[in-house]
Amino acid sequence: MNHYDIIIIGGGITGTAIAHECSKYQLTAALLERGTDIGIGATKGNGGVVHPGYDPTPGSLKAKINVCGANRYPQLARDLNFGIINPGIFVIGFSDADEAVLKHKLEFGIKNGVRDLAIIDAGQMRNREPQLATTARHALYAPTATVVDPFEVAIAFAENAKANGVEILTSQPVTAIKKRTDGNFLVNTPNQQFTCTYIVNAAGNHADDVARLAGIAEYQMKPRHGDLLVLDKDMVNKPKTVMFPCPGPDTKGIACIPTVHGNTIVGSTATMLDDKEAVNNYAPGIQALIDGVHKILPELDAAKIIRTFAGLRPVVLDNNNDFYIAESPTVKGFIHAAGIQSPGVASAPAIAELVRDLLDNAGLEMVPKADYNPYREKLTVFTELSLAEQDALINEHPAYGRIVCRCETVTEGEIIAAIHGAIPAHTLDAIKRRTRAGMGRCQGGFCQYKVIAILARELGLSADAICLEDAGSQLLCGAVKGGAK
Amino acid sequence: MKQLDYDVVVIGGGPAGMAAALKANEKGATVAIIERNDELGGILNQCIHSGFGLSYFKQELTGPEYAELFINRVKDSDIDVYLNTMVIDLAPDQRITAVNQDGMLVLAAGAIVLAMGCRERTRGAIKIPGSRPAGVLTAGLAQRYVNIENRKPGERIVILGSGDIGLIMARRLTLEGMQVLGVYELMPYANGLYRNIKNCLDDFDIPLHLSTTVTNIIGYPHLEAVEVAKVDENFAVIDETREVIACDTLLLSIGLIPENELSQNSGVGLNPRTNGPLVDEELATDQPGIFACGNVLHVHDLVDNVTLEAEQAGTAAAVYALEQKAAVSENRPAENKATITISPGENVGYTVPAKLTIPPQKPIRILFRVRTPLDQAAVVIHTGTEIFYQGKVQAYKPSVMEAVALHPEELNRLNESDEPITVSVREVKK
Repeated sequence: MNHYDIIIIGGGITGTAIAHECSKYQLTAALLERGTDIGIGATKGNGGVVHPGYDPTPGSLKAKINVCGANRYPQLARDLNFGIINPGIFVIGFSDADEAVLKHKLEFGIKNGVRDLAIIDAGQMRNREPQLATTARHALYAPTATVVDPFEVAIAFAENAKANGVEILTSQPVTAIKKRTDGNFLVNTPNQQFTCTYIVNAAGNHADDVARLAGIAEYQMKPRHGDLLVLDKDMVNKPKTVMFPCPGPDTKGIACIPTVHGNTIVGSTATMLDDKEAVNNYAPGIQALIDGVHKILPELDAAKIIRTFAGLRPVVLDNNNDFYIAESPTVKGFIHAAGIQSPGVASAPAIAELVRDLLDNAGLEMVPKADYNPYREKLTVFTELSLAEQDALINEHPAYGRIVCRCETVTEGEIIAAIHGAIPAHTLDAIKRRTRAGMGRCQGGFCQYKVIAILARELGLSADAICLEDAGSQLLCGAVKGGAK
Repeated sequence: MKQLDYDVVVIGGGPAGMAAALKANEKGATVAIIERNDELGGILNQCIHSGFGLSYFKQELTGPEYAELFINRVKDSDIDVYLNTMVIDLAPDQRITAVNQDGMLVLAAGAIVLAMGCRERTRGAIKIPGSRPAGVLTAGLAQRYVNIENRKPGERIVILGSGDIGLIMARRLTLEGMQVLGVYELMPYANGLYRNIKNCLDDFDIPLHLSTTVTNIIGYPHLEAVEVAKVDENFAVIDETREVIACDTLLLSIGLIPENELSQNSGVGLNPRTNGPLVDEELATDQPGIFACGNVLHVHDLVDNVTLEAEQAGTAAAVYALEQKAAVSENRPAENKATITISPGENVGYTVPAKLTIPPQKPIRILFRVRTPLDQAAVVIHTGTEIFYQGKVQAYKPSVMEAVALHPEELNRLNESDEPITVSVREVKK
């Protein structure tokens, strides 16, 4: 049985950021993720905006964490080699009442330490976004705001943590947690057992369920669901700025978001639900997204929608929509990093530092590793190479000359590298998130059977065993009648 | 890295590409076909049912048999075929960048024929709500799995969309031992060819539910059921008719979209009604030297028509390329052609071509589809002021591509004016 100083439960952007932070110190740690891949919960169910920090109330924990985390992103993107763009944000006002809200947010932002915030007028807005609705009157402009693919960030954190000695284990749902007489925890998954001195609970929507396993009932959670849309890269007049309407009490509203790879995301709605597994799309929500974005961009062509998806924001109830980051008062050594709803992506690096401090306070010695490597090399991306580089790569590895995904120009070489990568990809969606194969306008219509064949070959499995994402999501079910087995 | 030079480069080695290449080659042009798959034939290779070639060959062939006739002719010619090779860029200067496992290729061409075919409309495009499990796929992908990969996508199948691919797959899945629970169609009429409704649904007792759509996808991580519901004349869901159907596979046969990303990169203008290039009567796009044919131009129902169209494009491309070569060596200036537009009018969804060179030198064929079924109607081709063609009264269906042949004498009156032509289909009142 393996013993660790720390076990982190949950492999989303929060858990992996914490793993990345812990990997800088001389301690042993493992991350247990219940799903088949890193980042497949709330982390992949949002628009990827790294909020700069004009929303949270000054003085709140969230305000400090948001701004601090957001500021870390440019350096992290360089060190860990994940994609990032800097489109800035317009928070748009359509009325006098809105203008008051914008001024309020400007004040918050300045107090929270957000740089270069300004209120701009319609003319300035339309210089940057000529398609903007004529009813837009003014905006809070946050030019420092960035956008990432949050699942890519989680994978980058996890790979770097693993390279620096943290064990990253997927398909390991925690089923039992017991405090032993020696003060250590005994943690069970269906097929393994671990012990550890500290537990970090970063289990997203299930943080309260995991806490309950340890006998803790300090908070209750419910998911706040959001629908989102993805629009084709080739959409004419696509926005280059993230644009929100004025925020409501519970949600930032329906925004258009340019993505790292040139798509446009429209998101998101906000509905409290009871069911934590219901990451579905709802017809009224989809319509609300189209109506909502049309308030900002009336000419946006809804026929350019290529995919709908959804996410569940983990909400700790009766907590003012705030994060719940603290050592449990009842079970020593059990640290919560729960309720990470918006601005979760922006806050992740700062949450990791806060959790490190909590571990330090709880008695864990945090001695920096002399040989910590902050850099991560990412997998080769064929489309980012020059013609000569592409030619040279293919001459060395012919698999890079076989295009699998036509829409996104993804090669067999890239897919093979992802299958055998530092955090290996064994499912269609894991391949999709790492390589973009299947993210294009044909949504896997032409490449799915090829990706399945490559996975089957590389993993030594039958095509029937290959899953879309979670266990039980096999795509094929046996040979046709009379066909070759 | 290879740098290559051809009179005519054909992008796509399906039925359109092969027919175009063969005609271009016959005209004396040096020709290359660039095909991303490991064999020529395109989508025909997975269309193992018969019904191909009834008019072109006067035979009833399967898809692979139809393809093979062209593949053999290509093999016997001196057309260069690049398999497993994908064009990844068509630049505004018409330089073609392609890639295969031997490295990168840059091709210069006197003329280019676009023959990339089309893709299937996806779940996301029609925004079906519900979960996003395994078990939802397009009919063409299912056809690939069943006919080439020998795998079943599931056991109990619901098909959304009564287009030909869905109808063919309803029969195919049944023959291969799966259970097709029904075909559901949003419109009040079936979309596919009449003979496919008879041969694929009626003959196999597979029910067809019109004015019905899928309103929810249920089950995770694998599909467990779909909810269907009837729609009214405005396509609004009629709540009381919602019904949950247990199944493990949802096949989507909801439309085909010409695949024109490369065309757009090179500046080729597209017709928003077809999502294919705007072409004239020679199938020339608005980029000099670039021609288009087959499903990339507009979605066809009969491959025989694809072949005829492609032969026309291949011939025109070769003539253009060879003339350009001659003009360059003789120092001739470029010709400027006057054109008039051909527009879809009453009841007509689109026309190919969308413009006509005047004065017209040769007979032309105008292809079109109606937007809605009409029992008794006649095609009328007219300018603002006068009618110069009227067809006979017949039934029209959106799923049947129609053609009108016009001779230069019929079009001569256009010499005097340059008014645009409109193609309308007018209902005849009894």
